[in-house]
Amino acid sequence: MKAESRAAWICLAPSIVGLVFITYLPLASMFVLGFFKWGKGAPDPVFIDLENYIRLFTADPFFKDSIKVTIYFSFLAVTGSMIYSLFIAMLLNRRVPARGFFRAVFYLPYVLPAMAVFLGWAWLYEANFGLFNYILTGLGIEKIRFIADSRYVVLSLALIAVWLSGNLIVIFLAGLQNVPKVYHDAAEIDGANGWQRFRHVTVPCMSPIIFYNLMMALITNMQVVIPALALTNGGPGNSSTFMTYLMYRYAFISNQLGYACGIAFVFFALISVFTIILFATSKSWIFYEGDSH
Amino acid sequence: MGFQGLSFSAKGIRSRRRQEKAANAATLVILIILGALVLLPVWWMFRSSLMTNKELYAYPPDFFPDRWLFSNYRETMKYFPFFRYFANTMTIILPSVIGGTITATMGGYAFARLRFRGKNLLFSLCVGSMLVPTVVTLVPLYIMWTRGLRVVDSYLPLIFPHFCGGGAFNIFLIRQFIKTIPRELDEAATIDGAGPLCILVSIIIPAIKSAMIVVALLLFIMLWNDLMQQMVYINSLEKYTIALGLQQFKGSLGTDWSKLMAATCMSFVPGIVFYLIGQRYFVEGIVMTGMKN
Amino acid sequence: MMKKGLFTLFLFCLIMVPLALAGGSQDAEQADGKVPITYSYWGTPDEGAAVQGVADKFNAGQDRIEVEIMSIPHDTYVTKLNTLATARSLPDCGIMNEAGVLQFAENGLLADVSGMYGSGDSKPLESITFKYEGKPVAYSAANEILVLYYNKDMFDAAGVEYPPVNAENAWTWDEFVDTAKLLTLDADGNNAKSPAFDPMNIVQYGCMVENLTWQLEVWCLSNGSGFYSKDGSSVHINNPAAVEAIQKIADLHLVHNVAPLSAGLTDDGVQRSLIAGTCAMTTNGAWNVGTCLASAREEGLNYGVAVLPYMKEKVTICTGGPNVVFSQSENPEEAMEWVKWYSREENSWALIEAGIWMPVLEKWYTDEDLIRKWIDNPNFPPYEEYKPAVVDYAREYSRSTAWYYVNNTVDFNTLLGSLLGDVWTGAKTAEEAIDDGYTSLVAAFRGDG
Repeated sequence: MKAESRAAWICLAPSIVGLVFITYLPLASMFVLGFFKWGKGAPDPVFIDLENYIRLFTADPFFKDSIKVTIYFSFLAVTGSMIYSLFIAMLLNRRVPARGFFRAVFYLPYVLPAMAVFLGWAWLYEANFGLFNYILTGLGIEKIRFIADSRYVVLSLALIAVWLSGNLIVIFLAGLQNVPKVYHDAAEIDGANGWQRFRHVTVPCMSPIIFYNLMMALITNMQVVIPALALTNGGPGNSSTFMTYLMYRYAFISNQLGYACGIAFVFFALISVFTIILFATSKSWIFYEGDSH
Repeated sequence: MGFQGLSFSAKGIRSRRRQEKAANAATLVILIILGALVLLPVWWMFRSSLMTNKELYAYPPDFFPDRWLFSNYRETMKYFPFFRYFANTMTIILPSVIGGTITATMGGYAFARLRFRGKNLLFSLCVGSMLVPTVVTLVPLYIMWTRGLRVVDSYLPLIFPHFCGGGAFNIFLIRQFIKTIPRELDEAATIDGAGPLCILVSIIIPAIKSAMIVVALLLFIMLWNDLMQQMVYINSLEKYTIALGLQQFKGSLGTDWSKLMAATCMSFVPGIVFYLIGQRYFVEGIVMTGMKN
Repeated sequence: MMKKGLFTLFLFCLIMVPLALAGGSQDAEQADGKVPITYSYWGTPDEGAAVQGVADKFNAGQDRIEVEIMSIPHDTYVTKLNTLATARSLPDCGIMNEAGVLQFAENGLLADVSGMYGSGDSKPLESITFKYEGKPVAYSAANEILVLYYNKDMFDAAGVEYPPVNAENAWTWDEFVDTAKLLTLDADGNNAKSPAFDPMNIVQYGCMVENLTWQLEVWCLSNGSGFYSKDGSSVHINNPAAVEAIQKIADLHLVHNVAPLSAGLTDDGVQRSLIAGTCAMTTNGAWNVGTCLASAREEGLNYGVAVLPYMKEKVTICTGGPNVVFSQSENPEEAMEWVKWYSREENSWALIEAGIWMPVLEKWYTDEDLIRKWIDNPNFPPYEEYKPAVVDYAREYSRSTAWYYVNNTVDFNTLLGSLLGDVWTGAKTAEEAIDDGYTSLVAAFRGDG
């Protein structure tokens, strides 16, 4: 027992150092900094009590929208990428020729450098002469201002997020291969059609993996900052001002560090709430087979 | 109605086969269409890299370059020392990936196998750290490194964190893997008088090699895309990474798009190569986890 | 096999880590006893190489100062400088984005440069001197104004007269819109004035007025208002005249169908419009002559340059990235010496000759010999166009962009740009958008936005 716990502490030492110095100390200092004015007229931190938070919730022209945008985008991107990746994984799970090739194709976007991906998409989305609008014009449909129109911009960015979700496909695929074929055969003998088999066999068996992917997708999409940085600068209007992007802008562009830390803390609280909700509801729909070896 | 599945008539089997065939053909068609859509942005970037800037802005847009200007790549190499930047990037990535994989394995082992006080609390903290985005801790960490430790223009702040557990997600993944290994194996070794660390090295690590490859790949892709941190910590041109080098094509008074796209396409290659090498392990690796708690 | 590979990797890693750590060591003291100065610069790799060349010349020319260039990608320049400032590790001097100068001055990050030019020196133009609380804190390294570029072949094909090169004869706004209509063509070749015109199928637009936020200021000034009051002490963006000016820009696309939709986010306006061959006219900065138009002309673009149309007042705005000395520098004297030397025309001659920079000293705009020396070269449009439309226009009609005397323009422009996003697409009128955001705009201007 003693040897065991000593070994455990040895093994966990690096992780603990990481948790303390790379995660929780900076998090704590960020929390403290949220009560200071720092930068932009205050070269050194000045204690200002709750002023940052008051300004955040009353005067800030971007903040309320940014919460909405972050939630809206996460919702679209998470549902979209979950449905898309599960669908593709189910297709790839069938006996089709060149499976390895297709797997690589759908996984490819995830491997590409993120900044470059968004620059490439900027060309496709261009409002007047981009490829998508060229195709639409050819079909006789009116042009859509994908990222220049506040009604479509989040949708357009979510589409890119869906396109990027290759890692979810790989994980789903692995899970699908783990669903015992016996269940499917049994269901078929009972006369279940394709949809019913999906609903009553695939989904329950896959539920731990669905949960896992859901969590990953939620966390990554809530933390998204690059699309706003590379494509839209948070516009038009505040329609793509994600919270992380807003934080970035205050911290690094207009140099209001204390204030940015205030936003960061609210953001952290928000993402925690969503994750806790996800964990809390997970018990009711996840179907565990127990620890089978 | 419910007995179709049990019909043993030759006609039934034939029709089932035909159905199966039809479904597979449909799957293939859908995969080809979707695959083409997924590849479209990638192709767009590639064809942009072979055009003059004038052609790039042409309307209607061309699917194929006029002259296939591979000279763009030569031109680009003049200002974008790809191999230099690649070597720099690898200087960050290699130690980080190795350090991350090893420390994640150690952490995962402790959480999966060893009993010690405070295990649950530590594990919750570990999962909690997934929720903290890099943007949030960037400023405090930056201040810690530069003002606190006086580390300037160095790769150390980019590498060191990965020697601290390699991220909660990876620890979690390793833990799941180790849980799938039958306990009998290490119990046998314990009777022979081996300590926990000895078991880790002699039994567990050989058994989860593929999982470690998966973790290494995930770390690789994450680091490859980590523009934000690289930008903050790296100052001098000769230390630039690929991601930073790509940024250079956007000048103060305009952007050289075709060269930017050429550089972008070059930067795709390592990611794709690493994927192809790791693909086998990826799929097999995640299958083994079973993702069960 | 596997074990061996892993072991090799492990060894490699052991070797790499100390190497990476060694990479972080500070550069040693100059061997020849020179004072090391770091100068930060943005721009594309070829621009960086040009700057390096000038620095080499400076280093070879004297034995006290050794300048080293620190290259930072333009997109991340401000971010990077802000983080460096936080960590107290700013370079000694560097080029600076105009919008951030006063903010840096306010935070005490800029050294006093008032002593840089003595009484005998010819000083840079007053219009491109940054002032914080009335004192000069930086001088622009280059002068840039906004002008009108146009495609001569498109004008010839439509049988329309070229835009005027003299500010005296500048087009009124209505004349400009009218001309743009004649140059806007649908797939069947009808122009925007013809009854058969199909606005759904436009293949050539008459114009594109650049709507990057800072460039919009010229139209608000032209309409008799501006973003701010003349002394920069209050926000005037909600004046009916300013609002009307912005609406007029939006209406080019929304009402008249003579301009493409532009979101006002990217800086490649000239490439997107004139060089792409999709627009007959476009407004933008003088630097485009060197950055993209010269090479486009080699590829067959027949372009001309003219003065901007006007609404009520004939005006253009001038700007230029300044070189600043940072107060964190331990050798401000030496840094200033380098900056002053570097600002001399002959040292940025490559950029001036290319048509990217315009000179900053008064004499280049008045002395005919110097003007000839500057603009009589193959990179430029013909002398008889460039001289009145750019040189004279800059001297007689240019006003400083607001960031020379107004603080917090970064936040103000960011906010204004995001408010106007819906105006360009027609989701809101300029009046609605600016009224909605007025309180926030004032807060941003005051520095608590």
